[in-house]
Amino acid sequence: MAVLDRRNRRQIANTAFVTFSTTAAVIAISALTAILYSLLVKGVSGLNLDIFLLSTPAPMSQGGLANAIVGSLMLCGVAMVGAVIVGVLAGTFLAEYSGLSPALNAYGSVVRFLNDVLLSAPSILIGLFVYYIAVKPVHGFNGWAGALALGLIAAPVVTRTTEDVLKLQAKQLRESGVALGAPMWVTIQKVLWRASSGGILTGALLAFARISGETAPLLFTSLGNQFMNFDMSKPISNLPAVIFQFGLSAYDDWQRLAWVGALLIAFAVLSINILVRVLSQEQKRS
Amino acid sequence: MTDTKTEVYESFVEAIPADTIKLETKNLDFFYGKNKSLHNVSIPFQRKSITGLIGPSGCGKSTLLRALNRIYALYPGQKAEGQILLDGANVLDKGVDLSLLRARVGMVFQQPTPFPMSIYDNVAFGVRLYEKISKADLDQRVEESLKRSALWNEVKDKLHTSGLGLSGGQQQRLCVARSIAVRPEVILLDEPASALDPISTAKLEETLVELKADYTIVIVTHNLQQAARISDHAAFMFLGRLIEFAQTAKLFDNPKASRTADYITGRFG
Repeated sequence: MAVLDRRNRRQIANTAFVTFSTTAAVIAISALTAILYSLLVKGVSGLNLDIFLLSTPAPMSQGGLANAIVGSLMLCGVAMVGAVIVGVLAGTFLAEYSGLSPALNAYGSVVRFLNDVLLSAPSILIGLFVYYIAVKPVHGFNGWAGALALGLIAAPVVTRTTEDVLKLQAKQLRESGVALGAPMWVTIQKVLWRASSGGILTGALLAFARISGETAPLLFTSLGNQFMNFDMSKPISNLPAVIFQFGLSAYDDWQRLAWVGALLIAFAVLSINILVRVLSQEQKRS
Repeated sequence: MTDTKTEVYESFVEAIPADTIKLETKNLDFFYGKNKSLHNVSIPFQRKSITGLIGPSGCGKSTLLRALNRIYALYPGQKAEGQILLDGANVLDKGVDLSLLRARVGMVFQQPTPFPMSIYDNVAFGVRLYEKISKADLDQRVEESLKRSALWNEVKDKLHTSGLGLSGGQQQRLCVARSIAVRPEVILLDEPASALDPISTAKLEETLVELKADYTIVIVTHNLQQAARISDHAAFMFLGRLIEFAQTAKLFDNPKASRTADYITGRFG
């Protein structure tokens, strides 16, 4: 009888647990679905060619998001170039060189710790910081400051992934390069980076996805621009700031544009995530 | 096996003519941090012949091999003391150019490690580091190296496809081709066949026997039959010490040390 009781209790516990976790999963998925649904409903209706051809309009007039799309691409592009260079080199240092001596090891631990802190730092703090070093001194909001703020958010992600994928490479792959007479730095460049390129690219894409929707740091730095602007030393328009400004406005056509902008960002991030999945599948296969 | 520090380790080292020695260690000690894992190893390696290193796991045969091209220097805390003489010059000396040393003393590892690039580029990798040669010469060098490692016929139509697409045995012969392409003087192999099937193993062994016409080869193996089949000299190591070194036939048929006899008859190890 006691055995049966215990079995019943286990079954009940098991059923309860499955129910709870399933419910939690459903809640999570439905939130995501609701977001995507409202984005689609409210965003698709506003989609037309003008979105990509015209700049953001004054209230009650025709316009699009061309300046914000171009601006976002420029800011994120410049940020990613910087973040990849710094991140890959820093990650390489952490994975390959920080173990070489006790002093380097201590330095590596500090770098790793600070990188982790930066990885989870609130983006508004980064915006404020960049405001004080790259906006205030030059007396004006500008694109470089925006790219710097986004780069500071992306670099730790690239650093971390680079370190992780390099550490996954077999010890013998390193040794094989060195055993052919290649100095360590040549082995890193020609063998290890190449072997890790899929992983590093994945990290970079995820960082790109992360910064493409960042708003707070851009409000402090690049701010926005009503017109198309390719000059990084002037304020540059960008999708998140436009969504922020237009979404909160009282004008219907501005609100419609905000929804379209949100749809574009969501679609871009979704595509990047799918691309990352495909890439890592291929990485596994090879 | 009982083993105490007071036990005396007798070492039987058969002499070989001094002018045939390509590489030798003299009183070599090796340390992983504070752990001493090679004790006073003195062993000669004859030019243009194969020397097999055998012994139970942890006996120091891989450590000895990894000392010979100083690959251990990648890891802080590992160090060798004593002498390793390559053509009479001590490679443990301070000023030695490690990259150049490793170009002279090549190495093939237990797991095949093709680089993530084409078969051609794998073989050309080391050559490009040290030599500026024309495309035609490089083509020829790649072909020659692949032929010598008995891989040419299997890959000649797909030289520009990834080396990662080859089978394990082919990958290992690619690693051999990659090593000999830089024209080293010595080739070190660390259990190169342990991840291969019997047919690939046989092919690799044939390759090694052909290569010894030009190279000094040192091979670590767990497989006693393999050592008996391909090596000219064999060394039995135990607990970081060289117990016996002799011509392979002599070592297997008529070992002088009782430990060697125990090991090759399968009484331990």
